[in-house]
Amino acid sequence: MTVDDSGLHELRSAVREFLEAKSPEDVVRKLMESEPRFDPAVWAQASDQLRLPALTVPEEYGGDGFGMVELGVVLEEMGRALLCAPFFSTVVLAVPALLASGDAEACARHLPGIADGRTTATLAVAEDAGSWDTALVSARAVGDGRWRLTGGKSFVIDGTTADLILVVARTVAGPSLFAVDRTAAGLTAEPMETLDATRAMARLTLDAVPATLVGAEGAAERIVSRVLDLASVGLAAEQAGGARRCLEESAAYARTRHQFGRPIGSFQAVKHKCADMLVQVELAEAASREAARLAAEDSDEFPVAAAVAHACCSRAYMVAAMENIQVHGGIGFTWEHSAHLYFRRAKSSQLLFGGPAVYHERLLDRLGV
Amino acid sequence: MDDDMQDFTADVRRFLDAHAAKAPDRTAFTWGEGDDSMAYFSSLPPEEDREHVRRARDWQRVRYENGFGWITGPEEYGGRGLTPIHDVVYDAIEAEYDVPDTGTISVVGLGMIGPTILAHAQPHLKDRWLPAMYRGDAIACQLFSEPGAGSDLASVTTRAVRDGDDWVLDGQKVWTSVAQHSQIGLALTRTNPEAPKHRGITAFLVPMDAPGVEVRPLRQMTGGADFNEVFLTGVRIPDDHRLGEVDGGWTVALTTLMNERATVGSEGAGPVGAALSPDRLAALMRATWTGEDRALRARLAELLVDVMATGYLNARATRALRSGVTPGPERSVSKLMYGQNLTRAAHFASDVLGPRMIADTGEWGTYAWSELLLATPALRILGGTEEIMKNILAERVLGLPKEARS
Repeated sequence: MTVDDSGLHELRSAVREFLEAKSPEDVVRKLMESEPRFDPAVWAQASDQLRLPALTVPEEYGGDGFGMVELGVVLEEMGRALLCAPFFSTVVLAVPALLASGDAEACARHLPGIADGRTTATLAVAEDAGSWDTALVSARAVGDGRWRLTGGKSFVIDGTTADLILVVARTVAGPSLFAVDRTAAGLTAEPMETLDATRAMARLTLDAVPATLVGAEGAAERIVSRVLDLASVGLAAEQAGGARRCLEESAAYARTRHQFGRPIGSFQAVKHKCADMLVQVELAEAASREAARLAAEDSDEFPVAAAVAHACCSRAYMVAAMENIQVHGGIGFTWEHSAHLYFRRAKSSQLLFGGPAVYHERLLDRLGV
Repeated sequence: MDDDMQDFTADVRRFLDAHAAKAPDRTAFTWGEGDDSMAYFSSLPPEEDREHVRRARDWQRVRYENGFGWITGPEEYGGRGLTPIHDVVYDAIEAEYDVPDTGTISVVGLGMIGPTILAHAQPHLKDRWLPAMYRGDAIACQLFSEPGAGSDLASVTTRAVRDGDDWVLDGQKVWTSVAQHSQIGLALTRTNPEAPKHRGITAFLVPMDAPGVEVRPLRQMTGGADFNEVFLTGVRIPDDHRLGEVDGGWTVALTTLMNERATVGSEGAGPVGAALSPDRLAALMRATWTGEDRALRARLAELLVDVMATGYLNARATRALRSGVTPGPERSVSKLMYGQNLTRAAHFASDVLGPRMIADTGEWGTYAWSELLLATPALRILGGTEEIMKNILAERVLGLPKEARS
């Protein structure tokens, strides 16, 4: 299902209004220093009032069956507001992983609970090196119908709180996807200290943890590749939203802050900095929205567009977050100012799926270079 | 798409099918075969240049006679009376066909001067020139820039002094594209040196064959001569060739400049299009055995991200326009990026090629890049310098305060 422009506009307004009320800066700051790093009451409201976790879950599994375009709008708003919630892990990572697995039974078991907000979920691929390349996975699965997982996972988003953890582990058939229950015996999750405190991450230790195979044995490479395309476009939307917010903050400050008897925005050096940020933001929005549109149309051009969006938005957000501090001068470097929250999110997001060296090669690979 | 637009689209296709062949795929190529030109400026020898202009005029006449010469123009002056959206749709479809390049006529004359004449000229000038321009008979140029007034156009010093029913013009214009082919020029002149500089300017339509008008080709760093200096020495212009009020020429200039921003920067096809093709750039790396160089690969990826994101920006702006949404700053952003992307592509190629960029070994597709490289400094200046474009974005889009100007 796809909604038209006015529908998207309404969706954006509803989400923005909700986030302005529930995720203002002081709330973000309180949550990022607490455990869990989100407010279950707000998550319940996002589920019940706005049905956000249901957004992209197909209708047959109790969701609303929307696609990447609608998800992109929601993520742009969440990126602006730096919402602390298990949305990215659940909706941007776990839902597409379940759907890409083609495992109807697993979808029927997990998706309805995700859609109505009862279940949060995440996807655990990376280990200590942080790579999302399934060829580098060393966690192992043994068994025969009754699987047990052994090994470690790192950088697992919301890994200490997710009810369902989808874990990539190796079997004789190759990297495979497994479902692990949060309460399973042998599973321990430790919070990791994170550059971006608004996105909780955990290190998991798996000691013969009982698990259920999701999709075919050996299918994880294909599944993760599809998830990375969709998730990097989701991330790109978040980044575009954050970058737009940094630009708006800078422009507003440059209009009002006076130095040498005039607003700093009247100095060409500051003006050009803001114009450069605008160029980055415009490109980022175009790239992330176009990739989302191509995903919704299931276009052959989507994988290239996804790689472009990931690289373009990663850079745009980083530029906007850095220049935002520069435009704000010393005040932007203080803990009290919000600029560092965006800087931390921008850098963390840029590196989340491997960073520039990885996504550059991914783009060239897709272009056949 | 509504019915009207469907009918129009079908109309356009019928016309183009009858008069032109489908364009070959410009991105498809085989290394070592075909044209390896990377020239941004055409820089043709005079004879070929005249032939190029003749083909452009012929195609413009065919368009005009079939109702596509001036899609947005009023019917009384030979236009079709349709919307800018129809114009965009026509251009998009025409791009699929192999038709002569009409840039000489259309970029300045039809894109900028035509709308200015329509908005500000007296009726007899509109009758005389508008149909002639859009039929391809008359070419127009912009006599704005001067040696002392580039981006700061309000500083023009070319004088116009009233003498009875005439005005007498004296001064020098520069950077005048297509002046050598033009029948008319739109000149900004200083009529009141005492007034604040924006308020003492008057605009005139100057017949380029009037006594005292002298066009001299201006050789540029690429070696070619694509624009000119125009000397105005005692040129007599009747008062009825004035556009707008006496000393009210700045308003006229703004009409032209607004249309300039809508026109310049929308390019992308042609020889330089190949410079931004991933296939072409990848082939260059293979041919030079640099395909595994990690530093070069990273730079290529960064370049292609910008090239493709700029393409997405344009595609979205066009789609928005077609669905009736007024575009935002996409055109200005796209113009800035277009110049930067070509500049970076040329420098990327130079890093791949090394010494093969400094002297011609005769190998296909290598030294040819130097043509683009030499054009790139101009891309950051023409149609408004990068700095001016950034000021516009910052002031008009972000609402930053203007710098105090004298």
